[in-house]
This record gives sequence, structure tokens and C-alpha cells, in this order.
Amino acid sequence: MHAGIIFLLVIVGSVLFHIFTPWYWTDIASNWGAMDDTITLTFWVGGGVFVAVCLFMVYCVFKFSYKENRKAEYKPEDKKLERILTWATTLGVAALLAPGLIVWNQYINVPKNAINIDVMAWQWGWQYRLPGEDGKLGSTKVENINDNNPFGIILEDPNGKDDVLIQSDVIHLKNNRPVKILLRSVDVLHNWYVPQFRAKMDAVPGVVTYYWFEPNKVGEYEVLCAEYCGVGHYAMRGRVFVKNEQDYENWLYEQETFSDLIAKQEEIELSQVKLAKK
Amino acid sequence: MSEPKIEGYKFKPGYSGMAADTASDQTMFKGVHWGKAMMWIFLLSDTFIFSCFLISYMKGRASTPVEWPNPSEVFALNAFGVPVPLLLIAIMTFVLITSSGTMALAVKYGYERNRKMCGWLILATALGGLTFVGMQAFEWSKLIHEGVRPWENPFGAPQFGSFFFMITGFHGTHVSIGVIFLFIYAYKTFAGHYDEGKRGWFTSMKGDYVEIEILGLYWHFVDLVWVFIFAFFYLW
Amino acid sequence: MSEDYNDNKTIQAQSSETISGEGGAGVTSDTDYVRPAEVADQDLYHGHSFITKWVFCQDAKVIGVQYFLLATFTGIIGLILSWLMRLQLGFPELAGFMTAEHYYQFVTMHGMIMVVYFLTALFLGGFGNYLIPLMVGARDMVFPYVNMVSFWMFFVAVGVLLASFFVPGGPTGSGWTLYPPQAILEGTPGSGMGIILMCVSLILFVAGFTMGGLNYLITVLQARTRGMTLMRMPLTVWGIFTATVLAMLAFPALLVSALMMSLDKLLGTSFFMPTILKAGEVLEYGGGTPILFQHLFWFFGHPEVYIVALPAFGIISDLISVHSRKNIFGYRMMVWAIVIIGALSFFVWAHHMYVSGMHPWFGFFFATTTLIIAVPTAMKVYNWILTLWRGNIRLNVVMLWCLGFIVTFVNGGITGIFLGNVTVDVPLSDTYFVIAHFHMVMGIAPLMVIMGAVYHWFPLVTGRMLSEKLGKWHFWFTFLGAYSIYFPMHYLGFIGVPRRYFEMYDSPYVTSAVGMNEFISTAAFIVGAAQFILIYNIVTSLKIGKPAGKNPWQANSLEWLTPTVPPEHGNWGDKLPVVHRWPYDFSVPGAKEDFITQTTPPSEVAETEVEKT
Repeated sequence: MHAGIIFLLVIVGSVLFHIFTPWYWTDIASNWGAMDDTITLTFWVGGGVFVAVCLFMVYCVFKFSYKENRKAEYKPEDKKLERILTWATTLGVAALLAPGLIVWNQYINVPKNAINIDVMAWQWGWQYRLPGEDGKLGSTKVENINDNNPFGIILEDPNGKDDVLIQSDVIHLKNNRPVKILLRSVDVLHNWYVPQFRAKMDAVPGVVTYYWFEPNKVGEYEVLCAEYCGVGHYAMRGRVFVKNEQDYENWLYEQETFSDLIAKQEEIELSQVKLAKK
Repeated sequence: MSEPKIEGYKFKPGYSGMAADTASDQTMFKGVHWGKAMMWIFLLSDTFIFSCFLISYMKGRASTPVEWPNPSEVFALNAFGVPVPLLLIAIMTFVLITSSGTMALAVKYGYERNRKMCGWLILATALGGLTFVGMQAFEWSKLIHEGVRPWENPFGAPQFGSFFFMITGFHGTHVSIGVIFLFIYAYKTFAGHYDEGKRGWFTSMKGDYVEIEILGLYWHFVDLVWVFIFAFFYLW
Repeated sequence: MSEDYNDNKTIQAQSSETISGEGGAGVTSDTDYVRPAEVADQDLYHGHSFITKWVFCQDAKVIGVQYFLLATFTGIIGLILSWLMRLQLGFPELAGFMTAEHYYQFVTMHGMIMVVYFLTALFLGGFGNYLIPLMVGARDMVFPYVNMVSFWMFFVAVGVLLASFFVPGGPTGSGWTLYPPQAILEGTPGSGMGIILMCVSLILFVAGFTMGGLNYLITVLQARTRGMTLMRMPLTVWGIFTATVLAMLAFPALLVSALMMSLDKLLGTSFFMPTILKAGEVLEYGGGTPILFQHLFWFFGHPEVYIVALPAFGIISDLISVHSRKNIFGYRMMVWAIVIIGALSFFVWAHHMYVSGMHPWFGFFFATTTLIIAVPTAMKVYNWILTLWRGNIRLNVVMLWCLGFIVTFVNGGITGIFLGNVTVDVPLSDTYFVIAHFHMVMGIAPLMVIMGAVYHWFPLVTGRMLSEKLGKWHFWFTFLGAYSIYFPMHYLGFIGVPRRYFEMYDSPYVTSAVGMNEFISTAAFIVGAAQFILIYNIVTSLKIGKPAGKNPWQANSLEWLTPTVPPEHGNWGDKLPVVHRWPYDFSVPGAKEDFITQTTPPSEVAETEVEKT
């Protein structure tokens, strides 16, 4: 009997914990409210099943505890009941699956007006590259990466010249404008994850992966690496600022482009040559 | 196909009968020796190993950024001054398939309790396997001589060398293990262990000619796998 | 040497069964007829020295106990590692001795030990070896020698695994998934000898397991006793059998991936290694694909979940049925559910990889297959609670573990629907939600089954009962403690706390979680310590436990019906048992007692209303 009471308390406690928990998801700051909705839906359906099954179990414990003179029912199967339960479960599962697939379809189809952002990961840090006025990112190659070309941009590619280079783990995003995160890694797996944006995807060396979201809340957020990447994994952080259009443009204006970088380096080289001549 | 005769058991007709036979008591596969059933299931598991290798190979070949070398050039052999594509490999395949034939005959003579014929045929099979391994060693050394390594390849993608040495090496290990067992079984046949039911050295179970059939299953499987490796590496 | 063998006893050649023993009067009866044996009685090697009887022993029961003890030993190491991890997470100020390297090594070894070397070895090697021959009425496994080698291969695999703690650089710290490229690159602890030993150990484990697995399969398929049809097998056998089939087909992928990774490390091949820039230098590698490893690993990894879960499903079904004195509800449904879950488990692996960067269209397929698995799994849960319904439930320790299993399994199963449904997985993957989910569903739930099984079958193995009183303390500490570790942990995942973080610093949204981490760690220490109650219970009960006698739980299945308790080598004495019914004839109307054993012939219980035979 005591056992039944304790099990009952565990179930009631679980429900109460869920209702009163101070630990719950962070305020969403992107368009992926639909993800939260699917989670909530799954919570209602799944939580309902959990409570129902466990309460039924506790009821059985109270009602059918061992008595010397009672005999259990002998009923090997009940086809009708089993059929009803199978179909009800199938229906419930389908109801959970359908919205999941619909939202996934949105997740993998990027809107046309999204800004491409090249997120480059290494052990253990991030840097970013934005397209210049042409709206296109230059193609890259890991072998090209060096001090003069920190993103490994292929020099022959005209799209790369005006790319905006941000050699810092801080990136600014424009509020209410979709961004397509293009992830690449130069060494191991990483994952650019901001809990408030909900979305994530691994960065895999050798290929470019992507996902998209639309930030919709001005503020500062922390970037976490969400795929284990070696001993510095936990310290691989960054920051995102979501800004209004004007603030964003001001920030963007201050950033250096690839041609600026090349020009600066040529200047340095020239002055070195001059120094050497003197 | 004639069904095995089981005392007191009648096989039932049709698909539902097949299901009933399968689910019946004592054995699922009526009249099948334990060891034989074990070898079949082991081979099923081994099939998954080779499938994983070959699927990885396909994926690796499809996604490598460097050009894959042309197999008919890499594997060509000079015969009388003319490069003949796939010459060695054709001979290797022929030898291995032939050894499957001798193995099958060995099983037949084994069940006929023809100890001599059975023994010689097992030996012939073992020699076929040995020839195969020898020719594979020749091919390996030829490729190594030309500069192909597991980690690099002068003809193109380095993954070619990696997959080639790994998969043919794994298959060659299978053949070599088979050859060792063939020699042991040939000895046991000639010594009459299967006729007397002499107990094994390790397992202490009684010898029986069915063991030769079990080894035969393994040997045919190794040949079959070779056909796939052949197709994937040399013909693709 | 001939005295070592019981050369072909001719007991199988009885053409018609005569009623004998307890109720019978030696009358031949057509209803009791069971056709004669197809195969000759098994020829066994009887050890006669200490070494052949207890060390290199060919008796499946001894091998089962050996597996059990060694798996438990590695499990305790895994437990201690989890303590160290929880110390760091809950009370970092007390864990000053622990560096991030240590932490990641402990995480990795804890994961690998618990999944492969503890749970898999314990369920299949331990319970499989002990129970399969007894439950199907065989004298032993069909290849006792191979079975013995299987255990010693496992022994060597464990040795190699533990040896990696003592090599330079320590054990691998690449996470139990061992994802390349980081697993074999500097920057991950143990990327030298550690990862090599891990791969070698896994390859040995797979080789050893294959030997054992062949035994389990052939014993179930071809060595059942007379009258033991497939649909009369206890669900324990069904669960272990199906799990072994999965293992035979899934472990090859692990073997291949471990082999290829060792070659990448040792020979410098680039199966999984693309062009990599490290510390400003481009490495020798190039052209490989890291995602291939993930596919291979999870093609093994997902069936592995069911390799652990299916035996647990089977065992719990038997325990619930025996201790609620009622037939398992919907036996046929239960069998088919096990088989269907097993088959489907090969088509869901990439649900571990929704955010891995594989082609996004895979998401649709794998989300669908994954959620389909929820249906047969839910059916099993319904059938367990419907077995309790209108039963006559003995609330003993075994039943408590069963109830604990139902609660934790349903909880973990439902969070599985979150993670299997591709969109819901995106925010939750790689967070503590995942950790909470898989610990609940394949850590705690199977552990509940193991404990229940230990209390249930201990009397069979040793002939003595375990103490109920200590057992109840052990249960409540373990169940309540484990539940309070993992239930709140889901909410850390909602906040967004990622997995495998050595420390969170002062990330603004997790400062509120510090208190919870302290609570979880405290609970973890208590649960771990509570396991010593069991060890104490076992050690003392071996000496002073109540003698169990025959069939102390009034069960029906064959393992309780051996002539001697504990059963001797060869299990059945002179005469193999003959089976007349399924193992769940409890509380049959009209029967004198509330159970009818599998060997009871129909003529003895002619007055009852048995439905299924």
C-alpha cells in the first residue's frame, strides 16, 4: 500500500514540478516559435499518456494487491481492446509527427531574402564573413588560410573581394531579417548554437552546412558550441548582437572588407620593401 | 526440394504450413545440423561487415575531391609487352571459383565416406586458396612498387589505396584463415578422424563429415564476396 | 578421457509419452502425446578440475555468472566515473584535482563502459547464458567451447579497455560516440594510445560477442526441448533472442568503423578525415568524410539501444506476470512487438544525426520511421499495465522494481518522442535533455529490470533468498534517487545547457541552474552509494539467506523445474523436460493452485479452462 502512495506522489510531484518549475526555456528571440509550439504539443500529448499510464498502474496496485483468497483474471488476450489501443496510439503519433514534418520543411527551405553569413569554426573559436554589395560570398579553400587570408578565400573569385571580414567572435545581426548561417569548420565538428534562436546545425570539416532563422528581438546573446570538439569545447563561446537597421548599418560600415585587407597588406609590404632599400 | 524426414513430424502444406513448421517445437530448421545453422548465421553477420566496407567504399569514392584512378590502367599487367587490363585479376578469380568447385566435390565425397578423394580435394581447394593469396600478394607488391600506399596514391585519390588495401586485405585474411582450416581438415580427413568420430583437440566434440560441409559454406561465401569486390573495384 | 562424457544417453527415443511422476498413474494418453526428439541428446564436456569447472568452464550457467560478475565490476568503475563527473558539475570547488581533460575522459569511459561493457554484456552474456538453455529446456548452449572463448574474449576486451587508463595520454576523451576527426587529433585527450586501445577493445568485444551470439541464436532456434514451440517460449527468451539478432547485424558496423578509424590513426589513411588545418598547418589528411563515420556508428548505435532494451522488455514481462499471478496480457502481441521493434530499429539510425549536417531530406524519412516505432513500444507498455489489471499483485521487491521500470520507461519513452520528431529535436539535441532522456530510458529503466531480475533469479542461482527488507531500502533509494536525478535534468536541457560542458562559467541563463546541479549531484552520490546495499545483501544472503527450495515464486517456466536447485551441469539430470503449454498459465479457472507449470501434461489439469496451449 505504501508503495502505491509513494508512486502516486512521484507522479503528482512530476506534474507539479512541471507547472511550477523556474527552469524553463529562455525567451525566444527568433521566428522559430513553431518549434516551441511543437514541443508544447508533444508535452500535452506525451504528458497526458505518462500521467494516464502511471495513474492506471497506481490504481492497479491499490485495487489488486495480493489477497490469499482472490484469484487473478485469466484472459490471455483481448483482440478488440488491443486493436483500439493500437489505432489510438497510431493516431496520437501521427498527430505529433505531422506538425514536426511541416516545421522541418520550413527549417530546411531558406527564404530568398536571407543574408548569407559564413561562420567559420576552429578549435576553439569563431569568425564570420558577410557578403559585400554584390550579396555573394566568395568561395573558399582550407589550404588557402593563412595570416594574410584568414578565411581562405580563393583570390581568383571576384565575389570574394568585397566580402566583409569579421575576425572576432562577436557578430551583429539585423533585426527582423532572415539570415542563412553557412557553417564550415577547418578542423573538427562544431555547432553554432544560440539557445534563444532555438536552431542549430553542426559545422563539418570538408563540407558547408546551413540553417536559417530570423532574429526578432534586439539584444545580446551568447553563442555556444553544441557539438563536442575537444578539450576546449566548453569554452568555445561567442556573442551575437541583434540590432535595429540603423545600428546594424553603422556597425557594418566600420568593418573591413577583403580588398581592404589585401590593400593594407600590400601597403605594409611596400613599406617594408622601402625600408629595406633605405 | 525434398523435405528432410523427421520421425513423428509431418510437414504442412502452403504458406501457413510453412509458418507452422517454422514455429514448431525443437527446431526451426528441420534436420539442419547445429554447426551448419551456426555457419549460416555467422556468414549473415559477415555479409554485414563486407556490406559496410563496400558501402563505405562507395561513399568514399563518391565524395572524394580528387579524381578516382582508372582501374583498367592501374590493374593492367604487361603480357608479352602488351598491357592487358585485368589479366591477373581474371586468373585470380578463375582460381578461386575453381577452388569452390573442388570444395563442393570434397563435400560430396565426404558424405560418401570416400576418405581419400575427400582429402585430396580439400588439399586441392587449399592449394587454390594459397595460389589466390599468393597472387594477391604479387598484386599488392606491384601496386606498392608503383607508389600506391594506404595513405597516398600517385594515380589519383588517396582513398583508392586506403580502400583497396583494407578491403582486399580483409578478404585476403578470410581466405588465409580458410586455407589454414582446409589444411587442418585435410589432415583430419586423411587421419580418419571423421570416420571414427574422434574428438576435436579443443572443442572435444566428435568429428563428423558435416564439418567439411560447414567449412565449405565458409569457402563458398569467401568466393562470393570476392565476386562483389571484383565488381566494385575492378569493373566500376 | 572417456569418463568425461555422458556418451549418448538414449532418452530421446520414446515414441509415446507416458504420464508419470506426480499425478499420473502410468496411463498412456493421446492428449499428452509429444513427438519424439529430433536430435540426439547433447554430448557435454564435464570439467573435473578447478580450472575446467570454474575458470575455463564450458557450462553456460557458470559462463553467465562470469559475465555477470565481470560486467558488474566494469559497471562499478563506470559508476565511480559518474560520481567524479557529478562532483565537477555540482561542486566544482571540491573537484580542484580535475582538469577538463580528465572530465572528458571520464565522460567517454563512463558512456562506453555502461552501454557496451556493462548493459550489453550483462543482458546478453549474463542473463542470456544463464537463462536461455534453462528456459528452452536445453542441456547447455549448443557450442559450449565457443561460448567459453566468448567470455574470455570479453575478459581481454575489458582488460584492454581498462589498460587505456594507464597509457601515456590516458584513455580517449572523445565522447562515447568517438566522432572523428577530433577523436584522433590532438586537442582531444587520449588521442594517442587511448583511442587505439578503445578501438582494439571494441573489435575484441565484437569478436567475442559474435561467438556468444551464435550460441544464443542456435540454442533458441535448434535446441529447444520437446514441445517447446516458438510461441511457448518465455518472453525473456524472445527478448534476448531478438536482441542477439540485432547485435549480430549491428556490431559489424561498429567493427568496420573502429577498424577504419584505427587505420586513420595508425597508417594515416583518410577515410573520415577531410583537409584539416591545425595550428596554422594543413595536415597530411584529406578527402575523407566525417559523416560516414556517424552513419556507421549509429547504424550500430541505434540497434544497440534495443539490444539493451529488448532483453529488458522480455525479462520485465516475465517478472510482472509471475508476481501479479496473471498471464502476460496479449502474449502474441508482445512477441510481435519485440520482433517489429527489432526490425524497425535498423531504419531509424539517422535520428541521432538530424543536426549533423547530413542531407536535410533524410529528416523526413527518419522522423517517420522513428515515430512508427513508438506504436509497438506503446503496445508493450499497455500490455504490462493490463497484466497488472485484475491480477493478484504481490508487492514484493521484484514487483517494486517492475513498477519502477514502468514509470521510468514511460517517462523516457515519451521524451524519446520529443527527440525523434525532427523539429522538436533541433532545439533539444546536444543539450541535457538528451542526457536525461537516454539515461531514463536506457540507463535507469534497464537497471530496474536488472535489479528485479537479480532479486527474482538469485534463489535459482544460489539456492537462497535475498533479504526483502534490505531490498526495499535498496529499491526506494535507487528509484527515488534516480528519478530525481533525471527528471529535473530535462529542464536543464530546456534552458539550453549543452552536453559535455566541463563548466558553464557565468552564462546568464544558467546561473539559475547551479542549485539544480548541486541537487542532482547529491542525488547521484546517494543512488550510487545505495548500490552497496545490494552488494551487502548478496554477500550476506549467500551465507544466511533463507533457503529457497524449489520454485519459490511459484513460477511456470522451465528454469525453476530442474531436478536440483541450483541446477547442475547438464541442467536436467537424466531426462529432458517435455513442454505442454506456454509459461503463463497463472490463475487458471478450475485449477487447484494459481499456477500450472509448463511441464504439466493436459490430462493432469483436464478439469481446467485453459485457453492457450
